[in-house]
Amino acid sequence: MACMNEDGQWIVLMGLLTALGLFFLALIINQSALVGQTTAEGVLEFPKNDIRDLRSEIFDVYDSYGTLHAQGRLGDVEEDIIRISLERKNAVVHFGNDTPQDVSGRDLHPVTIHYNNGVTEYDEIVYY
Amino acid sequence: MVNDSGQLYTMEGVAAGVIMLLTAYIVISTTSIYTPGDTHIPDMQLEQLGSDVLAMMDTPDREGGTSQLVGFVKNGTETCGGNDLRNEFLTNCKMRAGDEDTKLRAQVYLSYRRTDGTVNTTPLSLPDPEFTGRENAVRVTRWVQLDGILPGIPDIEHSSRPRAVLVEVLLWRA
Repeated sequence: MACMNEDGQWIVLMGLLTALGLFFLALIINQSALVGQTTAEGVLEFPKNDIRDLRSEIFDVYDSYGTLHAQGRLGDVEEDIIRISLERKNAVVHFGNDTPQDVSGRDLHPVTIHYNNGVTEYDEIVYY
Repeated sequence: MVNDSGQLYTMEGVAAGVIMLLTAYIVISTTSIYTPGDTHIPDMQLEQLGSDVLAMMDTPDREGGTSQLVGFVKNGTETCGGNDLRNEFLTNCKMRAGDEDTKLRAQVYLSYRRTDGTVNTTPLSLPDPEFTGRENAVRVTRWVQLDGILPGIPDIEHSSRPRAVLVEVLLWRA
């Protein structure tokens, strides 16, 4: 830099600062377009309500297990849930129960629930 | 006015400036800015509201009773059926403090399985005249168990077997 014209250093300095400032502002604006989107998409995509609803419906089915089993209609209701889930919710659903087991002095059915909509997979064994 | 001395001060100034900018950046990035991408958030809230209302309507008033939702669905498209279900659903959605939310619209559909294995979906409420199909609608669903013959539901087979059907509600703001 020696022997060069050394006028105008303030202008160069301010130019540098402005450039840095603009760089950070651009970074902020760039980020702001994505603020919240990934979060909201993640939450919308996760089928929380579908899974909750499916669980409560399966428990409802096993609430009336005795009646349905006696009528021989358990399979019908099961197939309703499986087919409608696949058709309307794009979800592969499977559920079943096992022989009752003694859990802390109560006879409870182990109920297995499987749910997979291609993005979220959910498996559960619940004693009901 | 401009001379060669004081470069150290300049460097200090630049360093301080960078620190201030970084501080400003961190402060600004902690607050959220509403952008078009954030329209997902009202959708999310609407979906939660609809799900909660359906769950509430599907809860029987007393042990062993039938829920209000089952009562409406049983009647299908007849009186006390789909249209009343929609109106009751919307009334329940608007039952909160603040804005009256008069722009809230809903449309009720029902999906059931036929004996040949196909799944049929039928609208239970009369179509909304303003609905164009391009609304930013969310879909909330609820499983319902029905029993007996259901003459009010279009195209359902008249066998009185217990069945699980899916109530779907499209919910949007006009």
